[in-house]
Amino acid sequence: MLSVVARGALAACLLLFVQAPVVRFDSARNLFLLENWPGAAQMPAERYRDVLQVFVDAPDVPAMLGQYRVDAGALVFSPQYPIQPGVKYRAVARIPGTSPITVLVDIPKPAVKSTTVVERIYPSVNVLPENQLKFYIHFSAPMARGFGYDHIVLRDQNGAIVKVPFLELTEELWDPTGQRFTLFLDPGRIKRGLVSQQQLGMALIEGGRYTLSIDKGWKDAQGNPLAADFEKIFTVGPADRQPIDLRAWTVRDPASGTRNPLTLVFPEPLDHAILERDLDVVDASGAVIEGGVAIGPEEKSWIFTPDKAWKSGLYTVRLGTAIADLAGNMINRPFEIDVFDKVDEELLHFKYVFPFAVQ
Amino acid sequence: MVDGSLTADGGKMTKFRLTMCALLALTLFATSGAAADLTDSLKLGKADLKSVGVLAFGPDGVLFAGDSMGGQIFAIDTQDRTPSTASAVEVMGLTGKIAAMLGTMPDQITLNDIAVNPASKKTYVSVSRGIGVNATPVIVRIDTTGKLEALSLDNVKYSSVALPNPVNASTGGRGGNSRLQAITDIAFLDNRVFVAGLSNEEFSSTLRSIAFPFNSADKGTNVEIWHGSHNQFETNSPIRTFLPYKVNGEQTILASYTCTPLVKVPVSSLKSGAKVMGTTIAEFGAGNTPLDMIAYSKGGKNYILMSNTSRGVMKFSADGLETFSPITKQVPDKAGVPYETIATLTNVAQMDQFDAQRVVILEKSGDLRTVALP
Repeated sequence: MLSVVARGALAACLLLFVQAPVVRFDSARNLFLLENWPGAAQMPAERYRDVLQVFVDAPDVPAMLGQYRVDAGALVFSPQYPIQPGVKYRAVARIPGTSPITVLVDIPKPAVKSTTVVERIYPSVNVLPENQLKFYIHFSAPMARGFGYDHIVLRDQNGAIVKVPFLELTEELWDPTGQRFTLFLDPGRIKRGLVSQQQLGMALIEGGRYTLSIDKGWKDAQGNPLAADFEKIFTVGPADRQPIDLRAWTVRDPASGTRNPLTLVFPEPLDHAILERDLDVVDASGAVIEGGVAIGPEEKSWIFTPDKAWKSGLYTVRLGTAIADLAGNMINRPFEIDVFDKVDEELLHFKYVFPFAVQ
Repeated sequence: MVDGSLTADGGKMTKFRLTMCALLALTLFATSGAAADLTDSLKLGKADLKSVGVLAFGPDGVLFAGDSMGGQIFAIDTQDRTPSTASAVEVMGLTGKIAAMLGTMPDQITLNDIAVNPASKKTYVSVSRGIGVNATPVIVRIDTTGKLEALSLDNVKYSSVALPNPVNASTGGRGGNSRLQAITDIAFLDNRVFVAGLSNEEFSSTLRSIAFPFNSADKGTNVEIWHGSHNQFETNSPIRTFLPYKVNGEQTILASYTCTPLVKVPVSSLKSGAKVMGTTIAEFGAGNTPLDMIAYSKGGKNYILMSNTSRGVMKFSADGLETFSPITKQVPDKAGVPYETIATLTNVAQMDQFDAQRVVILEKSGDLRTVALP
């Protein structure tokens, strides 16, 4: 049996123990708290950061940004940005007259299986012109920015790496979802007469067979690598310096009363992304027909399915000025031109149209 | 406040008239001040940037920021006007320090651009916190002692202008909008903001010239700058970086394409809908992309410093740029304006002028340093 005095002393010790200031991380609310310190309530707000600071656990770094408040007697630090799994944090309480209390908080990063993959690359065809201008790399999930060019390699048929074939932009060119990466071949090596083209030659040589490789080290937006490497193997044909000629296009008219698609067919593959956005259909009054667009095999057709059944009458497919083939040649305007005429596309986006009738 | 006791008392009337005169003078001052102070058109609120990339300072502490994801240009009042005579700023391991301040690791942030406030000498850094498209935009301010703080964007005087995206006009809103314009450079000159951009779909140049203060009805003029006269072939080429500069008294845009030739374009030719031929005055060699340009004077001569992805930092004379003949035919290697590569400046990721004698460099290693202009 403990004596009354001993019991009293133990109780006092327990009380001291219970009431000792404690720093802890509330994972449910993403807050750092200094508790059991009565001084918090009396302290002026501008001194909160003198008492409690939270750092990423690294040498010589400033304290994390965040807001302070006193809540239920505890001094609370709410980080301005979300706490990040995989990062170790160091919370330090400096209560005047006592030794600093330091608590390390390790936020575990859940093991995630890589699932993101390259789904496809456009152009989908496997014979490309020598002056091919760009690739679109489509991923199954949003990707990390800023690391793309480290994970793309172009090799020739001997396995030799083609040197500096791409236009590498620190900004990188992504779509708004972060799932499509635009990879331009270096235009300096495509445009005739430039120093780049003379010194290094074309990146792609007619008759060659190339492999565009994406390695799985490329991380997605969750920080996980891709589930698999990806390769696109293609051969290279002659340079295409001809503008798009609408006279070679054909149209498959739909029948009235149906929602059958209207199909425009072209003799060469066109730029996939621009096909998706830069054509539309209007009726004889100029009203836009609502509907869905699909791009046909090898990007050689544009397929428009109206939301409502066709009515008989005259229609027009309006063609935007951005429409281009694989080498950047546009309608009636090659990628490189040797004339200098006034352009007014800004005012006249739909300079070209393709009429058709529904019967 | 007007002392408005209208009585027959002459003294009071004199005072009233004086007060009214003072008010009138104040009004006139304020009116003329509207032209003089760039912040007058800015409104207090939350500057809702979706991303932050290129930065450039105008007068009066106004920071222009390009938001590629949001397709907007922001003008932000930094309220940072106190002149400084500081001669340097240095922050070793800046990337790590900014990452820590934002509660994350260096591999989870990107430092996109730096701009030095020419008055206060404070360095502003545009940062993406996060690696995906939902990365949080942050602007960090570094004073000349190396102290870091985040610029509040929640309650700040700002204005913005949306850059037109041709997708909306052409498809009637059908389908997803996948086209984005990466804003690659921005500059303020004579109450206009110049913006260069590169589309993620078509290969073309758009140099926009937008009147400031921003006006929703005025999206600015759009000019195609063509890269011409190589073997007589021309392409509509994206501009990577540019610099407003007076060549022989004529206000000019010196622009560098993604494939490094340097061209000059008179500002007077940048009219709406115009197609403008940039006069090629230099080629700087192959396999390289320019990053930044700054202009300075030293020893009575004028120079331009250009940082590049793979050819280091180049310096060339800015005197007599008008005397170089346009390059109109194939050249064996470098041609036109001669340049030297600055051996002491390596691994430069970003740079901006600190003062008349110095430049601030953000190195690829993540260190921020001030060095003498070469």
